[in-house]
Amino acid sequence: NSIDSLQPLETTISDMERFAEVALLELSCPNCNIEFPFGGIIASNYYQMCYNGLQCKKCEHMFTPLQISSQLESCIRSHISLYYAGWLTCDDSTCGNATRQISVFGKRCLNDGCTGVMRYRYSDKQLYNQLLYFGSLFDREKNKNQELKPLYLTGDSDFPKDSLKESSIRALSEQNRELLEVNQGVVQKYLSDCGRRYVDMGSIFDFMV
Amino acid sequence: DHKKYKFRTMRQNLLDASDVLDEQIEIFSKIIQKHFNLSPSQFSDPTIQSQSEIYAVGRVVPDSPNAEGRLNTESLALETSRVMGIGRRVRLDLKKVEELSMFSGQIVALKGKNANGEYFLVDEILPLPYPDAPVSTEEEISESQESLEAESMKVIITSGPYFAEDSINTDLLLDFVNRLNNDIKPHVLIMFGPFIDVTNPLIAKGSIPSFPNLKIQPKTLDEIFIKVITPILRTINPLIQVILIPCTRDAISKHASYPQDSFDRKYLQLPKNFKCFSNPSTFQLNEAFFGCSNIDIFKDLVETTKGGLTFSRDRFDRISEHILQQRRYYPLFPGKTREILASKEKKIYKHIAGADLEIPYLGLTEFVGNVAPDVMIFPSELPCFARVVQNVVIINPGRFIKHKGGRGTFAQLSIAKPDLNDGRLTKVDNDEPVYLHNVWKRARIDLST
Repeated sequence: NSIDSLQPLETTISDMERFAEVALLELSCPNCNIEFPFGGIIASNYYQMCYNGLQCKKCEHMFTPLQISSQLESCIRSHISLYYAGWLTCDDSTCGNATRQISVFGKRCLNDGCTGVMRYRYSDKQLYNQLLYFGSLFDREKNKNQELKPLYLTGDSDFPKDSLKESSIRALSEQNRELLEVNQGVVQKYLSDCGRRYVDMGSIFDFMV
Repeated sequence: DHKKYKFRTMRQNLLDASDVLDEQIEIFSKIIQKHFNLSPSQFSDPTIQSQSEIYAVGRVVPDSPNAEGRLNTESLALETSRVMGIGRRVRLDLKKVEELSMFSGQIVALKGKNANGEYFLVDEILPLPYPDAPVSTEEEISESQESLEAESMKVIITSGPYFAEDSINTDLLLDFVNRLNNDIKPHVLIMFGPFIDVTNPLIAKGSIPSFPNLKIQPKTLDEIFIKVITPILRTINPLIQVILIPCTRDAISKHASYPQDSFDRKYLQLPKNFKCFSNPSTFQLNEAFFGCSNIDIFKDLVETTKGGLTFSRDRFDRISEHILQQRRYYPLFPGKTREILASKEKKIYKHIAGADLEIPYLGLTEFVGNVAPDVMIFPSELPCFARVVQNVVIINPGRFIKHKGGRGTFAQLSIAKPDLNDGRLTKVDNDEPVYLHNVWKRARIDLST
């Protein structure tokens, strides 16, 4: 909530940096129960995007739109709930107190004599970025232009064996337009309620009243 | 005021949160001074050494910020307000107190002494006064009398989930609506969420089968409600007033924190006999005040108890009294969280749900007007119950459906028509005479399957 020292404007940083620490979207196959990270229309050893949706590579099950969107929504809600669990940590590295207790002086550390400052471990900024990341996975333009955060690094054990051609990514993004839009809608539902997205004019100008 | 619940979520400010936590102690300091007729000078800082006995008000907290699991009488501390003790915490020595029931987050008033600077030795726990009961004027009573054609007002209360954990089968809900329309015929139906529970394993794992009766399959959880549940709810007789109260695990609510904004009736395509209320909410049906809170306080509140008298009492009675004394629907702090084991080998736990408290707005969870409702409803995972505690009717309707799809329970509440002449209303002499509702004397509750 406070201004964390001097940083570049939020709008100017790249998605790479913004999503550096986000959690991946883990999907599970309703048919064979295998779990895999979903990273948009990209190459993966676990799933492939077809012209009519998402397919599990292991058992060839085709996901219905609801089987994707319900997992996405459930995942978003577990992130929101984790945020509301309200874990705090002390910024003094010699203390490192992690607790859900809050002092009546919010930022004061509850360990005797510690002068560190308490902060939410899961900050609202992190949660906001997490939602933006989920949104990016279903963003048609970003998929087309291959601007998504990569799931794997070269050398990872499950680094995809095949790669997708740019032309097929473009075609798949168009073919799966509806699927992408449905899931975008699920993410937008929560972004539209997210306080971080809005500047509270009231609190800025209340000195004038 | 329902507009107050329309705040944006996911942006908690730590300072706003601590303001509210501080304020809670200060509010009770005033209530206690007034009730026990004590002067502010008799209260002082329990965290510092003193020669004499003092009164102190504060919040019960664990004596270590990292305390986990159950607290015992040796591991409790008292947190002071900013004004009274600069927010310091002091360990409690409770060996002189014989009977007690305490929990984390409770505001307490204590009499005792801090002789060595390290412990506050408690002599006595001052019981917090119960809030007043609501009253009505003669005119208001006759109005509610006239509005009722029948002998009594009939209210049905159900609580989700309405689906099992292994199939999305609506047979029980259909059957229930049928019984409502043809046999039970209540005036009011209060339905608590979750309607579509985001933590339901079918939904979390995405293994929802298709709906054979639907031409166009739902693509999102919201659409399951609109295409599957709304059509069933729409068949409820429009003469029955239906009240929907959300749960923070409800997929159809984008407001996933407590206090929680109401559902959007139009978006859910529900007809006009449906009213969507916030969680918690306080409202009036005829003369009776209802307080509803959809968060499992009876499961979450774990007390530290001492003494045979305390222990031999019913746990639900003790918790109900705590809620009434604390004048808040969810007095526990920090709120409970729920984790599941994500990996057995590595012992990694994954957070899935919780009380999801929006601390800066906890003021909205306090009793409206400092008055205890006549009827309080707290849905819980625990078996259904109905009790009268301090003249308040406390109801847990139980789950509508069991985990594996078996028939669950619901509550049926009948409140006899208020009558100024049958002696069941208590007259309170005032400038203008008013009457206590004594709903507990006039109500009958059936817990059915």
